Amino acid sequence: MKKHRFKKGSASPGNEQVSELLILPDGRILVHNLTQTFAELLHELNSGDEQIASRVLHHSLPLREPGRADLLVSPAARQRRPTKSKAQLRNHSNIS
Amino acid sequence: MIGIVQERRPPARRKAVGVQSPDGRDSSKDTLKREFQLAGSETGAPRSVLARERARIARAMLADCRFCAHNCGVNRLAGENGLCHAGAETRFFSAQTEVADEQELVPAFNVALSGCDLRCDFCITGASSWNPRAGAGFDARAMAKQARAALAGGARTIQLLGGEPTVHLPAALEFVSWLPETARLVWKTNAHGSAQARELLDGMFDVWLADFKFGNDDCARRLAKVPDYVRIVRENLLWVGNGKVGVQASACPGNTLKRELQRVARPELIVRHLLMPGHVECCWHPVAEWLAAELPGVKVNLRFGFWPAWQAARHPELRGTVSTPENDRAAELARRLGLNLVP
Repeated sequence: MKKHRFKKGSASPGNEQVSELLILPDGRILVHNLTQTFAELLHELNSGDEQIASRVLHHSLPLREPGRADLLVSPAARQRRPTKSKAQLRNHSNIS
Repeated sequence: MIGIVQERRPPARRKAVGVQSPDGRDSSKDTLKREFQLAGSETGAPRSVLARERARIARAMLADCRFCAHNCGVNRLAGENGLCHAGAETRFFSAQTEVADEQELVPAFNVALSGCDLRCDFCITGASSWNPRAGAGFDARAMAKQARAALAGGARTIQLLGGEPTVHLPAALEFVSWLPETARLVWKTNAHGSAQARELLDGMFDVWLADFKFGNDDCARRLAKVPDYVRIVRENLLWVGNGKVGVQASACPGNTLKRELQRVARPELIVRHLLMPGHVECCWHPVAEWLAAELPGVKVNLRFGFWPAWQAARHPELRGTVSTPENDRAAELARRLGLNLVP
C-alpha cells in the first residue's frame, strides 16, 4: 500500500490544502481530507465511481474558484466527456 | 512518541477555589456555576452572545479541567496537563473546505484542532491528534474570517473537529461567537465529553457528528486506552439524541418550560461508526443493535474506508483494510436492524 499526500496552496497551517490517498494493492483508493479539487481529479480518472461522482456533481460549481480545477486537470480534458475507458485507476474509491 | 499508560489515573485533584481567570475574574467553582446558569438562562439571546459568555466561563474552567470524561481536574492555566496533554493554548493542524463528510453537510469548512483525549492507535491524524502542540496557533477571530469566506464561497457548514474539539472548549466557543448566527455549525466529536462540556455546548451547534467507535470496553481499552468507554458514549449520544440525560429541569415552572423547549431544539445527531477489520461482531454489531433500540431513526454513517494509519500495526487485525465479506456483513446487519444509514 502506498500513501500519497497532495498539497495545494490555500488555507491550512502551512497555507495549503491537503488530501491524502492510500492506493491499495487491489487498485482501490482510500481518500482522506478530500477537497473539491481532488474530488474532481479523481472523478476525471474514474468517472464510473459513484462515491466520487456524488461528491463532485453536487458541489462543483459553488466552490470552484476561477481556474482552480484547471491546475490539476487541463481545460481540454475537462471539456471531454469522461468515459470509463479513461480511468487509469480501476475499481472504486472510498472516503475515509 | 507519546506513551500513555493504560488506565493511568488522573493527577491528584487541585484546589480550584479562588482561581483567577486570565481576565482577573474570580473563577471559583461556585461563581462559575452561577455565571454559567446565568449565561444559559439568556433565552432568546443570540448564539454569538451566549458563546462569547460561555467561552469566558470555559476559559476559567481550565483551572480545574473536566471537559472530557477523564475528569482529570488539572489546572491547565497553570501549565498542568491531563491525559490529553493540552495546555491553555489551542492550536490547529488543518483548516480547509472538504467534501468527504456526510453528504448533507458538504462542502464543509473543516477546522481540525490539535490534541485529543483518546489514544486510538489507528487514528488517521494520529501525529497531530495526539500532540496538542502540533500545527499553528488558533486565532478564533481570524479563523472565523476564513470560515465566513468559505461560506461565501459555497461551503454549506462549518465543522469543528480534532483531534477532539472538546479539550479546547474555550477556543471553540470563542470561534462560534465570531460566526454568523445563520451559519450551520457541526460539532464533530468522539462523544467522550463530560456533562460539564455538554452544558457549555448546549445550543451552540446545529449538528453533532459523533463517533461510536467501539462496541465494548475491552476493544476501547486495547485500541484507544480508554476505560468505561461504552457507557460514556451512550450517555452523550442519548443527551444529544433525545435529551434522556443531562437535562436538569429546575423546580421552577418557568425554567422547566425553558428546558422543555431546549429539548425540542436539540441539535441534529449523526452517529458515525468506522468499520474496522476484525471488529464487525465485537464492535459494529453491538453498536448497531444499541442504536436501533435506543435511538431509532437516528442518522448513522457507517464508514467503510478504514485506513491502517498511525500505530494501527500494533494490532495484527488492524494491519489491513476491511474485507469485502466484512463490509457486506456490516451492511447486512444495518439493513436487518433497520438503521437509518446516510451517505
